Formats: sequence, C-alpha cells, structure tokens
Amino acid sequence: MTTPRNRFLFIWSVPIVLGLLSIFGLLAALLGTGLWHWASWVSLAALLVVIARYWWFPARA
Amino acid sequence: MTAATTVKTWYLVHKWTSLVCTLFLLVICLTGLPLIFHHEIEDLFDDGKPVAELPEGTPNASLDRIVAKGQALYPDEYIDYVFMDDHEPQAYVGLVRELGKGVETGHAVRVDARTTDVLYDGPPYAEDRFSFMGIMLALHVDLFAALPGELFLGFMGLLFVVAIVSGVVLYGPFMKKLEFGTVRAARSTRLKWLDLHNLLGIVTLVWAFVVGLTGVINELSTPLFRLWQSTELPRILAPYQGRTVPTELASVQNAADTAMKALPGREVSFISFPGNAFGSPHHYVVWLKGDTPLTSKLNTPVLVDGVSGELSAVARMPWYLTALEVSRPLHFGDYGGMPLKILWTLLDLVTIVVLGSGLYLWIARRKATDARVAELVRRHQQAATPQRSPA
Repeated sequence: MTTPRNRFLFIWSVPIVLGLLSIFGLLAALLGTGLWHWASWVSLAALLVVIARYWWFPARA
Repeated sequence: MTAATTVKTWYLVHKWTSLVCTLFLLVICLTGLPLIFHHEIEDLFDDGKPVAELPEGTPNASLDRIVAKGQALYPDEYIDYVFMDDHEPQAYVGLVRELGKGVETGHAVRVDARTTDVLYDGPPYAEDRFSFMGIMLALHVDLFAALPGELFLGFMGLLFVVAIVSGVVLYGPFMKKLEFGTVRAARSTRLKWLDLHNLLGIVTLVWAFVVGLTGVINELSTPLFRLWQSTELPRILAPYQGRTVPTELASVQNAADTAMKALPGREVSFISFPGNAFGSPHHYVVWLKGDTPLTSKLNTPVLVDGVSGELSAVARMPWYLTALEVSRPLHFGDYGGMPLKILWTLLDLVTIVVLGSGLYLWIARRKATDARVAELVRRHQQAATPQRSPA
C-alpha cells in the first residue's frame, strides 16, 4: 500500500476499468450489430449500476 | 511547479471553466433530453401520412418521379435537395423560392420512396424553429443566433471539456486517502455532495468527454463545410467558372446511377441540386454512404455535372469532415437502438447532477472548498519538505 505503484492503483484502478468499459461500450455499437449492441448496452449500463451501488451503499471513509 | 501549486492551478482551471459554462451546459443537457428521442417525438406529432405497407424488398421509385412530385406542388420553386430517410422508405424533397436560400426560404415535401405518394407538405424551416422541438434544438445548438450562436455554444462545450480534464486531474489528490466510491454522508451536506460530485464525475468521465467533444465538433459543422467548399470545390469547379446555375437539369436518377457506378456498393443518402448553398452551382453533389454500421455514417461526395449528367469528380473527403461524420452518432447516441437512447438519457441526467452539484459546491460553501484546497496544498508542501531538509 505504500509503493508509488500501489498508491496510483489505489486511486485509479476502478476509474481506469470504468473508462475502458465506456470506450468499449461507445465503440461496440458503432462498429458492430447484433451481439455487439448488447455488449454496448451492458457495458454502459454497468456505469449506472456502479453509480447506483455507491450512491445508495457508499464505501465508508 | 511544485505539486502544491499544480493542484492549486488545476483547481482554478476547474473552477473557472466550470463556472463559465455550467448554466449553458445545464440548458444543453436539459434540451438534449427530448432531442435524444426526436425521431420518436416527431413521429408522435406527425400529421403526415405513413409510408405504404409494401412487401420487404420493394424497390424505390425513380428519383426523377419522386422529385417531380415535390416540383408539381410548387411549380415556381427550385429543387434544393433530395434526402433519403434512413429509418423509413421515404424521401424529403427540399424546395426553395430563391436558389442558395435554403435556410431562409426552404421547406420540404415528404414523399413515399416506393409509391411516390406525397406524405406530408412540411412548413418552412423558419416556421418550424418555433415548434417545441425547434425551440429545444435552438437552445441546444445556436440560441436562435445562427453561426455566432453555434460558435458561442461550441466554445462553452470546449470549456466543459477542459473542466472535465481538470476535474480528472483533481480527482487524484482528492481521493488520495479515500476508497473508491466513498460518500461521507454523515459529516456535512457539502462533504456528501463533494464526494458524490467526484464519484458521478469520474464514472461518467469518458462518456461526458466524448459527448462534449463531439458536440464541439458538431458546432463547427458550418465552418467545416465552408472550408471544404472553399478548398476542395474550386479545383473541381474551375472549368465552370463564370457560368450561371443551369435551368435545364439532367435527370437526377441518372446522376445518382453515375455516382453509384463510380463507387460501387454504396447507396444515396443525400443529393444537393445545382445552386444549393452547401453544394456546387453546377453539379449534383451525390453523397453516398456505405452499408456497414460504421460506413453507413460516412458519406462520400460525388460531383455529377448538372447539365450533361456526366461524372465530374469523386471529391476527396478531408479528415475534418470524416471527424464530423463520426462525431454525429457519438453525440446523438442514435446508433444502438432504443436501449442506447435510454442509456444516453440516464447518463445525461447524471451529468446534470454533476453540473448541479458543482454549482452547489461553489455557491453554498465557497470558503469551505477553498480551505480544503489550502489543506491539500499544505499537505503537499509537508510531504515535499523532508526531501529538501537533510537534518
């Protein structure tokens, strides 16, 4: 938890995963059809699930 | 710059870019909500006839016959364009009283692409500006101020993008000791909304950045088209210099066929007639789109001589118009069915909360936020001190 690498990941690991998920979701529906549309809907909906989860059940400080 | 002054600088960037753009962005986000569903809403209030129920695969009628239907209703006017709807088998035949005055005097007649029945004789665009959707669009795009309004809101969008970037930079120092998703609800309302602002902002970061940036690019569409017209077209138009807009036009269907022969595997999305404000004075500009999900958004303009009907040139599509074309779906969210539109709506609502909470944080507890930044600055300085004094 004290190395710079760990400190970076402590803050940024979740945002990076969510960012990659967003990019995938935005592009999947643009570049594909059928299953790719579903993949897009699921990954963008995941962002809203994350928001709902932490809004209603926040992590404790 | 030390880490402390860097944080301070980014905080000031975030604060001022946000403050300047927030009210406009709130209007843009609110008016964007109905615009996401503009197709559905327009269908709901559509007083035109529906397209005829015909078996799948029924071919379209000749464009000459489709255009003639519009011309027959307005024999004294000029055909400005024909636009093939990408949702329904129907075409919009644009008409103008004066050539090149499409925005000011234009209106469109909707024609069934297969039976050529006139479905709807639309009002002038100028009148449509004050319909509900027209007002939503104006507030979203140009505040009823045409190009200056577009550039102004484009600049507000740019500030929004800078606010997002600076917000991400600040997220690091703010979250140094906090688990992802921490919302300190018990201590104070301000702290709770600061945490929610950070949470909602970081989760919607990429979406808001993409929709913001593509919105800015969309606002530049008028100058980008003008740039294309003034750099790409003169080369092709040189041999036609000094000639007036022809009155006797070659067949538009032949023009379309000529264009499609030049670029096989593509279909017509839009044809501007000679004299169109965004086209050429002597050519049909036939915009052809591809048939894959992505290439169906990318149009290539083919210029066909308006009198002889012969191929003049397949215009080069500059990178900035390609960027503009890719920006449209990514801004509108209309490329992944109804579920994507609903997701766009929800993410838009979250963005409204981010904007609103940002405004609240500034208004209600300006001093407290400043103190928090001072605290962060102090901590950075403390962290930096031991390295400087070897003691």
